[in-house]
This record gives sequence, C-alpha cells and structure tokens, in this order.
Amino acid sequence: MDKQYNRLFWNGVFIVILLLLGSGIYLSSKSIDYTWRWERIPQYLINTDPTEIRAPFDGTVVVENGGKRVLVDPDMGGEPFVVERFDVLSVGDGDMVFEGDAVAGIEDWRLGPIAWGLIMTLKLSVVALVFAVVIGLFAGLARISSNPALKNLAITYVELIRGTPLLVQIFIFYFFIGTVLELDRFTAGVAALSVFTGAYIAEIVRSGIQSIAPGQMEAARSLGMNYVQAMVYVILPQAFKRTLPPMAGQFINLIKDSSLVSVIAITDLTKAGREVVSSTFAPFEVWFTVALLYLVLTGALSWLVQKLERRLAASD
Amino acid sequence: MGSLLSVKGIECRYQQQAVVSDLSFAVQPGEIACLLGPSGCGKTTVLRAIAGFNAIYAGSISLEQEVIASPGNGMAPERRGIGMVFQDYALFPHLNVRDNVAFGLQKWSARERQQAVTHLLELVKLQGMENRFPHELSGGQQQRVALARALAPKPRLLLLDEPFSNLDTELRRQLAQEVRDILKEEGISAIVVTHDQDEAFTVSDKLGVLAEGRLQQWDSPFQVYHQPANRTVASFVGEGKFIRGRALEGGLVETDIGLVKAQQMSWQAGDEVDVFLRPHEIVPGCSDCDVRGRVTRKEFLGTTTLYTFTLDNERQVESTFINADFQMGETVGLRVETDNLVAFPAAS
Repeated sequence: MDKQYNRLFWNGVFIVILLLLGSGIYLSSKSIDYTWRWERIPQYLINTDPTEIRAPFDGTVVVENGGKRVLVDPDMGGEPFVVERFDVLSVGDGDMVFEGDAVAGIEDWRLGPIAWGLIMTLKLSVVALVFAVVIGLFAGLARISSNPALKNLAITYVELIRGTPLLVQIFIFYFFIGTVLELDRFTAGVAALSVFTGAYIAEIVRSGIQSIAPGQMEAARSLGMNYVQAMVYVILPQAFKRTLPPMAGQFINLIKDSSLVSVIAITDLTKAGREVVSSTFAPFEVWFTVALLYLVLTGALSWLVQKLERRLAASD
Repeated sequence: MGSLLSVKGIECRYQQQAVVSDLSFAVQPGEIACLLGPSGCGKTTVLRAIAGFNAIYAGSISLEQEVIASPGNGMAPERRGIGMVFQDYALFPHLNVRDNVAFGLQKWSARERQQAVTHLLELVKLQGMENRFPHELSGGQQQRVALARALAPKPRLLLLDEPFSNLDTELRRQLAQEVRDILKEEGISAIVVTHDQDEAFTVSDKLGVLAEGRLQQWDSPFQVYHQPANRTVASFVGEGKFIRGRALEGGLVETDIGLVKAQQMSWQAGDEVDVFLRPHEIVPGCSDCDVRGRVTRKEFLGTTTLYTFTLDNERQVESTFINADFQMGETVGLRVETDNLVAFPAAS
C-alpha cells in the first residue's frame, strides 16, 4: 500500500527548503559585499527614456508660444530648426547649443537589448526547429529504410552529429561552411542548430515508428496503400502522438542550445545579457533575469505540448 | 474453369530457416479453404507469403492465372487485391470505425464510400458504431470491424489469420459461423488459418492439414476427419488413440478390444496394424463381451463423460459415453462400433 503522507506538512517542508536556498543566495552575496541593483535591469528590457531631439547645427534656442514651439537659429545663418512636437524641454530660451546637443525629448518606450536578445533567441529557435523537424523526419525514415545507402547515410549523420560538441559544430558551420557558402551569421547559426537537433529528432522518429506494431503497416498495405501512403496515413500519425514527450524535451534543449550561437556574435538572449553586464556591472541581476526569460520560453513550450498531448489522448 | 488461387510447390522461410516446403494447393472461386495445423507449423508464414509480406524461395503463387509471387519476385502487397484479417485485428487506433472501414476506399467518391460503410456495418451488425474508436469496442466488435475493413475494397481473395483466437469459446463458435455466412453472402473466396479444428470444421469447404512443414492432406473437412491420410492427420484432427493390433484376412484386425473391420487396407495379413479409435467409437457393450475394462479415470464433460479403461492386459483405452455413470474400479464390457475404421500399418 502507498504510504499516506501528511500533505500539508511535507509541502511546508518543500517551501522551507526553497526559502533556505533563496536566503542562501542572498547571504552568500552579502558575504562578498555584493550590492543588488535590481532597479538597473528594467530599462534593458523596456527602455522608457525619452527619445531625444538633437540640434543639427550650432545655434541659439528660441522658445515660442509659451513653451509649445522651439526654434534653433543657426549661427551660420539660414532656415531655423523647428521642433513642434515634444514632451520635455531640455533647454531654455536664449541658450547656446552646439551640434548634437539635446534640445527636447519625446516620451516613448523602446525594447531594450535584453528584449531584443529574447526575440533573437525565439527567432533562432523557431526557424531551427522547423528545419530540424524536417531533417529529423527524413533522416529517421532513411534510418529504417532497407536501402543500404540511405540507411548508412542516416547512421553516419546521426553518429557524426551526436559524437561531436555543438560548440565545435557551430564553429565549423560559421568558419568553414559559412565561409565557403558565404552564409551570414544567422543562417550559419540556424544551420548548425537544426543539423544538430535534427540528429536527435531522427532517433526519436525512428524509435517512434518502430514502436508501432508492424501489423499496422501490413494492414494498410493489404488495403491497397503503398509504403509511402501507409507511412503518411497510418504510421506517422500514431508515431507522432507517441513521440510527443521526447520531442518536447528535444525542443526545449534546442531553445537552451541556441545560447551557444552567441559565440559567433549573434546577439541572442545570452549575448545580450553579457553586453548588459558590461554596461551595468550588475552580473547577478542580469544572469538571473536571463535565466528567468529562458525559463519562460521553455515553460511556455512544455505547457503547449502538454495541452496538445491531452487533446490527442482523446483517441486512446 | 481454373482455380482462383494456385499455390505450386512453394518453400517459405522464417529467419532463413525453411519452415514450409513443397506446398501445393488450389482454391476454387467462392470457396473457403482452411489451413489447420499446430502452432509453429508455418501456416501463418504461408498466408503471409500469399498476402505478399513474406518472400517465397521455390515454386510459385498465382491468382486468377497471374503469377503474383515466385522466387526473387513478388508483386507488391497493395497490388495483389488480397485482403487480410489479422490475428490482433491491426485496426487503426487513431481512426474511428467509419474511417477504419473506409480506409481501403480512398479512390471512391464520398457518397459511394458512405454507402459501402453503411452496407458493411450492417453486414457485420455494427450499425450505429461509426464514430466509436477501436479501443471503445469489445474484442468481438473489433473483429467485426476488421472483417468489414478487409471486405470493403472487394478483395479477390480474403486471408484470415487465426481470426478468432483472441475471443472466448462461445463467441468464437458464433462468429465463425457468422463469418462463413457473410463470406458466402458476399461471394468472397477466403483462406482461414487456424490451430483450432472446431473452427476449421465450422468455417471451411476445404481443409488442409499442415504439419512438420508439409501439407499432409487437402480435402473436405468430412474426409479429413473420417479418412485421415496418415497418422499425423489422424492424431491431430479429433481426439483418439492408436491401439496396436494384428491384421487377419479380409480386412479384419485383431486388437486388444476385439476384432474390428477396416474399410481400406494398406497392409497384408499378419502385419502389425495401428487402429485409430476415437472415444465415441468404443461403446459399453453387453455383459457377455469378451473384452472388459476397469474404470481407472473418469472425467465428467457435461453431455458426455470421458472414461479411461484399463484392460486385462494393462493397456488403456479412452471412451466417451452419454448417459452412463460408471464408478471408479467398476468393470465394464466394451466393444468397438464404427462404420469407418481408420488404421495404418504399425509404425516401426
């Protein structure tokens, strides 16, 4: 019989352990005299600084209309620079300004570098995922083919990719293949990621297909379908359902692996984090934020897959 | 008129080992044939060779005078027009009953397909089940769906691999009879593979007994039962025991259980002969019978009781009686009563 646990008590234990871990982090940062500056982080996600309007030349400021219109009269003579739409005035009437000085600002918000990094990571992952699934599907099918050429090609591909580190593959794709084929960084990064993930998906596809009883293929054949039709209408739909959990794991890995492409100077979430660290000197806050954002991406993905799984489970 | 299916001297292998060799038989149009044999005798391998899932290594298989398989050459299964019902049904779990049945009708129009599905489900008595999924059906219902699905594309020949083995005894009898009626109604020729002789007798017009990799006999079920071609067939089909005897003149055989008369002789007077006696062929006789047996084992079977008698010379015979209740140890007079005695020269 299953042991009956006191749920309230053990859930309490769980929360206490989490709190201990949290305070451990806090105390260890204390012990190295780390000053937390969380307030510096949000602006790198969403930048709310006003957009500045700068003087195009040296001149003198004229404020008109009770502060609703600003002119910069050029010293060299000619048409004045007129600013009519602004939220903040940075200069006063009669001020001398030089070329490039801020005259006024418009309240506005823009995505910060970390947000752009997140978008880049998302873009990389989605594009690589599509290609990885296509590569994996064909490699998986080739792997179980009875044609020796196809089968051996698939085995070579899978073993080659699984046997070498992704980081090395990214360098090869960027510096060797990328140079030969003149690929840009993004293409090289996507190619490396999809070829890498494709090898793992191929194995998942193979095991999924092999887990379907051979009678299914034979039943379809005896009903007049050829191999390809039977694959498409009978085997793959069933294999898809069975491979969903390992597939989800692989997709999550892909999102995390995409952080490695920062080595070829693609500004993904990780590289953005590194850049922000160098300008804020708040490495702890930045890396925790970056980790949390990765967690949001992977969490959303596994939630979606779970929902899909539940819907497909309706038919068995 | 030629045979529908003609199998000529084929050899089938399983994992590079010849399991069936020199197998020949023919199925006539509209006929239901049955391959009967013990587990592992290669009957399913033969069926799969006809369907096109296994290669053959000698001989040829022709369907409607067209060679569909020969060594190193086989028509793709989907082009043979041969339907198959699998032992585990192999229904498509991701499709409902309607889509399962209509699966072989992809090239038909939606209307024709719907009509065919309605007709077939009526035929197998599954009206109203169109939207169920296979896992929501009982074993017998799944079997019916499998049959409807295989019948849908109007196959030239239907193969059934141990079709009733996953069902309980009662359902098995009922479905076997029903399947026979359906096949006859639709005029579909079929080959059924089974290890269950009752099933084989119920279903088939022609019965082939397969054992030790060879076809032992190919005949009507009645002939196979009453005139088995050899000892293997005799002991496999129906229950019974061999008793040793000595041949006399005129087809008479002197046995432990008295004189018996054989219909056909393949021996000479004075030879040792094995007489095959089925339990119902030994009846309790008169009190003045020469042969007497002591009841040493008793098995109540419902309508009949199976007794084992030990004769005076310590040999044993089995017999089933209706309406008789002997006690253990009781001595009973026995005699053989049969119209059709089966006997073979004694195995040396």
